Amino acid sequence: MRTRIFSVLCENVAGVMMRVSRCFTRRQINMDSITVGIEPSGLARIIILFQADDKMTAFMRKILLRLEPILEVQVLEPENSIAREICLFKTRKLEEEEMSETIRLVQSAGGKVLEIREGSLIGEIGGNHEEVERLLSSLGQGMLKEVARSGQVYLSRNNRGSS
Amino acid sequence: MKEITGAAALVSALKSEGVRHIFGIPGGAIIPVYDVLYEEPSVRHILVRHEQAAAHAADGYARALGKPGVCMATSGPGACNLVTGILNAYMDSSPVVAITGQVPTSFLGTDAFQEADLLSLMLPITKHNFLVKSVQELVEAVRKAFQIAMAGRPGPVHIDLPRDVQTSKAEVKIPAEVLRRRKERYEPDPHRVEEAVKLIEEAERPVLFAGGGVIWSGASPELVELAELLGAPVVTSLMGKGSIPEDHPLSLGMLGMHGRRAANLAVTECDLLIGVGVRFSDRSTGDARHFAPKAKIIHIDVDSVEIGKLVRADVPIVGDAKRTLREILKALRARAKRGVRSEWRERILQMRREFAPKMDYDDVPLKPQRVIKEIMEVLDEDSVVVTEVGQCQMWAAHYYTVRGPRKFISSGGLGTMGFGFPASLGAKVALPHTKVVDVAGDGSFLMNSQELATAVENEINVVCCIFDNSYLGMVKQWQDLFYGGRRSQTYLGKSPDFVKLAEAYGAWGDRVTRPGEMAPKLREALKCGKPAVLDVVIDPEEHVLPMVPAGGKLDQMIVGD
Repeated sequence: MRTRIFSVLCENVAGVMMRVSRCFTRRQINMDSITVGIEPSGLARIIILFQADDKMTAFMRKILLRLEPILEVQVLEPENSIAREICLFKTRKLEEEEMSETIRLVQSAGGKVLEIREGSLIGEIGGNHEEVERLLSSLGQGMLKEVARSGQVYLSRNNRGSS
Repeated sequence: MKEITGAAALVSALKSEGVRHIFGIPGGAIIPVYDVLYEEPSVRHILVRHEQAAAHAADGYARALGKPGVCMATSGPGACNLVTGILNAYMDSSPVVAITGQVPTSFLGTDAFQEADLLSLMLPITKHNFLVKSVQELVEAVRKAFQIAMAGRPGPVHIDLPRDVQTSKAEVKIPAEVLRRRKERYEPDPHRVEEAVKLIEEAERPVLFAGGGVIWSGASPELVELAELLGAPVVTSLMGKGSIPEDHPLSLGMLGMHGRRAANLAVTECDLLIGVGVRFSDRSTGDARHFAPKAKIIHIDVDSVEIGKLVRADVPIVGDAKRTLREILKALRARAKRGVRSEWRERILQMRREFAPKMDYDDVPLKPQRVIKEIMEVLDEDSVVVTEVGQCQMWAAHYYTVRGPRKFISSGGLGTMGFGFPASLGAKVALPHTKVVDVAGDGSFLMNSQELATAVENEINVVCCIFDNSYLGMVKQWQDLFYGGRRSQTYLGKSPDFVKLAEAYGAWGDRVTRPGEMAPKLREALKCGKPAVLDVVIDPEEHVLPMVPAGGKLDQMIVGD
């Protein structure tokens, strides 16, 4: 068992996420992450991360390909793909000293301060999963009031993904 | 171009798909469609008495004819009653197109009267489903639905049709062809075929294992030719029954839990198993780890999901059964002829003789085997036998000799009690000049016996042979074998009197209690000009044997006398 990444190209029709996600639920697989975006062609690309062994991964790929709106399922490997995630976060009300330390932390981690309002900071960190995790843990649970994460998106480095 | 209503567009789209029959029940949310059907002479609507029967009838129709069957219902409860039938069709890969009314689009999601979230309900039990929002979408959905239902591995498709779409008017064009961007893989990979041929040539004791895919792809001639070329026996799944005429010397009948001993032993002894259009269900394989333990396995299926799912495949071939078998035959013929494996063939013929099922009982109460024997005396090779689910089904599957594809129709994957009778009505509508017999149990028959009204009113003259043992027989059998004979809630008692029940509906009814009565009474029933019910009183103590307990090994069967 390890993390698997599917990049699923499908028609952008109502219910397609439900069609895809139930295939995982039915096989007792909890998705780590699922994101969807529309490509310029009008087709949707869904990126799914989940834990499975080789056999289940191959099986799930075939299961998804059987769905009518699905056109292509690439199995991405981390070494052959670029991964990104974006995370927005809001801190609790901070004292002045805490605020400057937080700004320093965010900036040194490659994040951005987007807004400071009534002593609370809203920031952004983008990058790979580990970079996001690192900043969030260094800020600490006590500091963060609200966190919104995009989920991980992957893009194959190859012209064709390994599928 | 003239503007037409969604309802009219639906009916003309169905006509352009060649639909001649619809099984259904109207209701509030689909009245506009029925209003169009009112003056449509080329589509015959068969009014059933419960929507579940509409789905099963469409399923039986599809299986008998090899073309999609259509069922129709209203929103909410009507559509929900279709669910079991649609899932049944899905599990057995039967092309059913279901059309249901839905509340108007502006009411969707408001818990309106007779609203059900059918997009969600039908999604996991169909190949695909549509909720259409406009008249143009509707005609495209119909075209797609029929294509999807028949493409590759067949299966059901559902179209949900809000009431306002039925009544709104639009100019529509019925599309000639809806392009499918994704193509099914019908042609086998030539490298895989080559690997398969190599294994076949090396094999000393090959067995062909045929499933419903052989029937749907029309591959029976190729299957028989391959069997004869190799001198290899053919065993089948329940769905594959009839893929080879079962009176063929190389046919060993059905394998599995209630399969024939010869079939199960052949699979256990073989050194090569060629699975064609089968999904290796647990009812066929028993313990999958010990299935065909000495064999290499070639698995041919049009649905790649099935390959390697339950049983390892040494040579997986994704492809249509007919095309793949043709390629294999072509390659085998081109090579030096290996010829028939005569030793193996002898062993097969010997097993066929040794384990020929015993059917000539003279007991009273009647033994079911004897009843099947007499049914076989009456029916010809074109006749269609449909079954309910349970003991009656397994007796039919085990003992009845089917002589061609589409002549044996049964609920396999879902095992739906109540399937047989409405499915037999569908089969009879599809093949009005063919004898259609439902082999039923008393428990199963009662789950859709209201369809006697449908049969009588529409003059669908099937004969229902109720193997009446006053029990939910298969559950009782498990209780007897595995629960110390504690027959919890399986005794059904003596009610109803099935002869009187038949007569109450205006059908013909009679009772069979003694050896020698079944054949003449079945002949009479088939000629009576009405739907008929034969209440066949059988021995309530009789089990379906041999039996491989669930998860057991195929060569370790519980055998009878």
